Amino acid sequence: MLRLTLKNLAGNRVRFALTAFAVVLAVSFVVSSFVLTDGLRQQFDGLSAEIVGGTDLMVRPVEPDFGEIPSLPGSLVAEVAATDGVAAAAPVVGTPDNAIRPVPPDGELISTNGPPQVAVNWVDDPALSSFTLVEGRAPAADGEFAMDVDAAATHGFTLGGTYDVLTPTGTVSETLTGLTRFGADNATLGATLMQFPTASLQRLTGDTGVDSVAVALADGADRGAVQAALASLAPGTEVIDNATLLSEQQDGFNQGISIMGNVLLGFAAVSLFVSIFIIYNTFAIVLGQRTRELGLLRLVGADPRQIRRSVLGEALVIGIVSSLLGIGAGALVARGLTALFDALGASMPDMALVISARTVIVALVVGIGATMISAVGPARKAARVAPIVALRDGAAAGTSTGRVRLAVGTLILAAGLAAGGTGLFGASGTATVVSLLGLGAAAVFIGVTLVSPVVAVPVTRVLSWPARATAGVAGRLAGQNAGRNPQRTATTAAALMIGLAAVTMALVVGESVKAELRSTVASSVTADYIVTEPSGNFPADLAATLDASPEVAAVSGFRYEEVRTGAAADEIEVTGARLTEVPALFDLDVTQGSLTDWAGTVADPVAVAETEAVRLGLAPGDTVGMDFGSGQHRDLTVVAVFADEYVVESPYLLDLSTWDAVGASDADDFLSFSLADGVDGARAAELVAGLTAAYPQVDVDTPGQFADKVAGFVDQALTAVNAMVALAVVIALIGIANTLALSVFERTRELGLLRAVGMTRRQLRRMIRLEATLVALFGAALGVVTGLGFGWAAVIALPDTITETVAVPGTRIAVLVAVAGVAGLLAAWGPARRASRLDVLDAIAA
Amino acid sequence: MSRSTTVPAPIIAAARASVGPEPTPAAAAAVGATKVYGKGDTVVRALDGVDVTFDKGRMTAIMGPSGSGKSTLMHCLAGLDQLTSGQVVIGSTDLTQLNERQLTQLRRDRIGFIFQSFNLIPTLNAAENIRLPMDLAGTTPDARWVEHVIATVGLGDRLRHRPSELSGGQQQRVAVARALASRPEIVFADEPTGNLDSRTGAEILGFMARAVVDLGQTIVMVTHDPVAASYADRVVFLADGRLRGQLDHPTPDTVLDAMRNLGQ
Repeated sequence: MLRLTLKNLAGNRVRFALTAFAVVLAVSFVVSSFVLTDGLRQQFDGLSAEIVGGTDLMVRPVEPDFGEIPSLPGSLVAEVAATDGVAAAAPVVGTPDNAIRPVPPDGELISTNGPPQVAVNWVDDPALSSFTLVEGRAPAADGEFAMDVDAAATHGFTLGGTYDVLTPTGTVSETLTGLTRFGADNATLGATLMQFPTASLQRLTGDTGVDSVAVALADGADRGAVQAALASLAPGTEVIDNATLLSEQQDGFNQGISIMGNVLLGFAAVSLFVSIFIIYNTFAIVLGQRTRELGLLRLVGADPRQIRRSVLGEALVIGIVSSLLGIGAGALVARGLTALFDALGASMPDMALVISARTVIVALVVGIGATMISAVGPARKAARVAPIVALRDGAAAGTSTGRVRLAVGTLILAAGLAAGGTGLFGASGTATVVSLLGLGAAAVFIGVTLVSPVVAVPVTRVLSWPARATAGVAGRLAGQNAGRNPQRTATTAAALMIGLAAVTMALVVGESVKAELRSTVASSVTADYIVTEPSGNFPADLAATLDASPEVAAVSGFRYEEVRTGAAADEIEVTGARLTEVPALFDLDVTQGSLTDWAGTVADPVAVAETEAVRLGLAPGDTVGMDFGSGQHRDLTVVAVFADEYVVESPYLLDLSTWDAVGASDADDFLSFSLADGVDGARAAELVAGLTAAYPQVDVDTPGQFADKVAGFVDQALTAVNAMVALAVVIALIGIANTLALSVFERTRELGLLRAVGMTRRQLRRMIRLEATLVALFGAALGVVTGLGFGWAAVIALPDTITETVAVPGTRIAVLVAVAGVAGLLAAWGPARRASRLDVLDAIAA
Repeated sequence: MSRSTTVPAPIIAAARASVGPEPTPAAAAAVGATKVYGKGDTVVRALDGVDVTFDKGRMTAIMGPSGSGKSTLMHCLAGLDQLTSGQVVIGSTDLTQLNERQLTQLRRDRIGFIFQSFNLIPTLNAAENIRLPMDLAGTTPDARWVEHVIATVGLGDRLRHRPSELSGGQQQRVAVARALASRPEIVFADEPTGNLDSRTGAEILGFMARAVVDLGQTIVMVTHDPVAASYADRVVFLADGRLRGQLDHPTPDTVLDAMRNLGQ
């Protein structure tokens, strides 16, 4: 039988190729996810090694389990250096990404969407520094800085030039005294790396302490002894060695890479799932076409087991060959994805192609597994073919849907809905929720696929009405062919359904979020302007600047901080703002008390969201105890209860007086302000222009502009999701082409007859293209309906602070369906061409 | 080789002269029809200079042993296959001058087909199958004629049935009705009863013969069955790609005799 299996494969190269193609695609997406993340990991591991460099030990503060990491006193550096066995010690002062931004000569800020802009303190000791001077001299005094040589060249900074630099404490003028190299070959992965004198950087960040102290050991020093000696120098510090430092650094990068890898794998899983439908369908059709041949095998003595084994053997060969091809294709896809990300604005480093043993094993498991799973059903069916079939004439008009299939489909659908519902509303824990949702969605798709043949005939009939009306007999035949084998149509359409359901869901969620945002802006925002800073480093003195401006009537920054509250000391996020200014900026729908009437009588006021107030039975006058990250405790007095929780996004709104008193983070997240009465448009525009000139890093938007901008972000996210889903849609379209190619092959005689009795090649092509369009539209309809359901469930499950209304983007969905139809038309190009070129006589004789 | 769209009268006259004395107007003719497959040593001359005409309003049977070229001749006459040399004429149209699209239109508008099996589109019901050539052409069928044809083949109560719901004989009757419905100049039938039992086969042949007598239809039928051939007005015999004789007003016995003589 093995020889027969192999001969079968060799003898039907087209069928083999069509089946294998689906597997290759599925495998290649999985492989590309791995190749991409492995490549990134290799790059960033190298980066980590450069960052850690020659630091033998590092003294740093112990991370508290709550609150900010404290900095160390600068005096500790000298104490560390004086410790026995220490050859050199250097302070380490860092800044958050993009907190310090040099303004290039053209005034156009370096984007914060790509690689970060990072400032560190210059360290003279080469053993403890990742940087080497390439040109010029090291920055030594205030007003001097160095920059890595590639960033300087890329962004137009030249040695000796003086540039504006945006810092947390304001904009300063700095002279570029040196060009440096990071590590051996300045592998910065596109980042802009700046070095400032330690004291200078401390002044710019407004923190006189140091983050940690890097230590180089003296030759022959006892590492353990030095480590112990250093640990006892200051309370609340720990001393870690080079290896720990390196692995922590790598873990930090790996987390980000893993998130990206998991997202990619998620999309690969969708593609794989879609591919299984296609592989299954291909096997089912191919074996259906070979029914007579299988009957003949049974007739000459093959038993059902041999038939089943032969079919599974074919699947195994296809699985192995296509998995191997998929690995190669995956490497290409990884390259393509890199280019795609680059085009989307995330600049990707040049990477080596890393194909690990793990990747190869996973590819083989996935490819062979998917093929075998897809082949099991068709193989069983093939084994049941009766010998008598060999003697019958084939080509039936259609099949009906079995009750068993319907019942099983309904059960799976119900189970999927139950799992999804539990995932959305009942379960807790990310892993549980994600797996419940994934399984639920998969079950829903399988269930719909099993049930949908029932509606395939009526739906394609309705959909084919325009075709029948306009394309005459070609349209009528296309409609009937689409409904001819409902199971095949349903499975082919199902592949497309999955992609379109995902897109529709994303569209519904996105539209709902945007609708909620717009309605909130319309109903709750009374401020004239909203000021934001995209990189999260809001200029600290902006509020004060606006305060001083006579045109501004009300202004408040909004801040967020983790606090502990309640009997269980739950960690929750609270919002800080100038309470008395808030009513002039946002209509929070205050139901009890007042945001302004407390001044002078209450020391630490707090406004409470209505749901929280109801939960805890709080009313104005009650007190709420909170522990802050700085270690301080306050008993806050409830002064108001508000109903609109969308703006504040946390259950408690504190006044900035308390905020400052307890030493909570003074960084605003965003700011909004209202103009004084009588400030006209021209003066307002002048004010905004002055603001953006003084603070080039901020965006000043009217509420309408702000809503548009956020809607733009939502659309951007949707575009990214859709780009990934597009892969699944492409696979589905290949599936349609595949099914049609096989159908054309199957209906060769019928096509020959049509041509013999006078169907022109054009009519024939049109017939096949219309059939494909109908299948695609059917899949799109299923996808849109399923996606609307998913989207509805997702919106209901999302917190009300994100969105609570379900909005359906009708036009976009209509466009989506139309695109699917056209794509189906295009997918049929090849099969239609091939069919129209059939030799009439050969076809009739087939 | 000179070619023209209309066949010069002398050629038709020559073709007529070659097949017999009866001066009936021709519906179709082959002149020096030659079809060669393969090259060099493996060359097969399926048709080797066949001159033959088919009379209007008559049923002509083409007979011959397997490999005699009878099916090839029919395929070439019907515009399904191309000659290597020579000419094929339907009415006054030289098929060798037509391109693929024109051939398709000719088949659709002027020719009817009945095959041995798989005559019908499985997704269309009987009535739709019958109207198919006219639907493809986008012409409106002559309703009274179609009704007449359907009545002639006796299908009245089966029109809404799909082919899979019809017996083999009923399917062939639908095929005959389809071939006749568009009033083609000529109907080609390739072993139309080959897949049927003798009683059903006789029924179908009866319908075809009645179409010739009642409706004035021209039919050319390829068969190897002497009984089927006896329904024809005339039988032409082919062997080794050449015309080997003909027989007017055949009976099964005279056909059998003629067949035996072919072998010698």
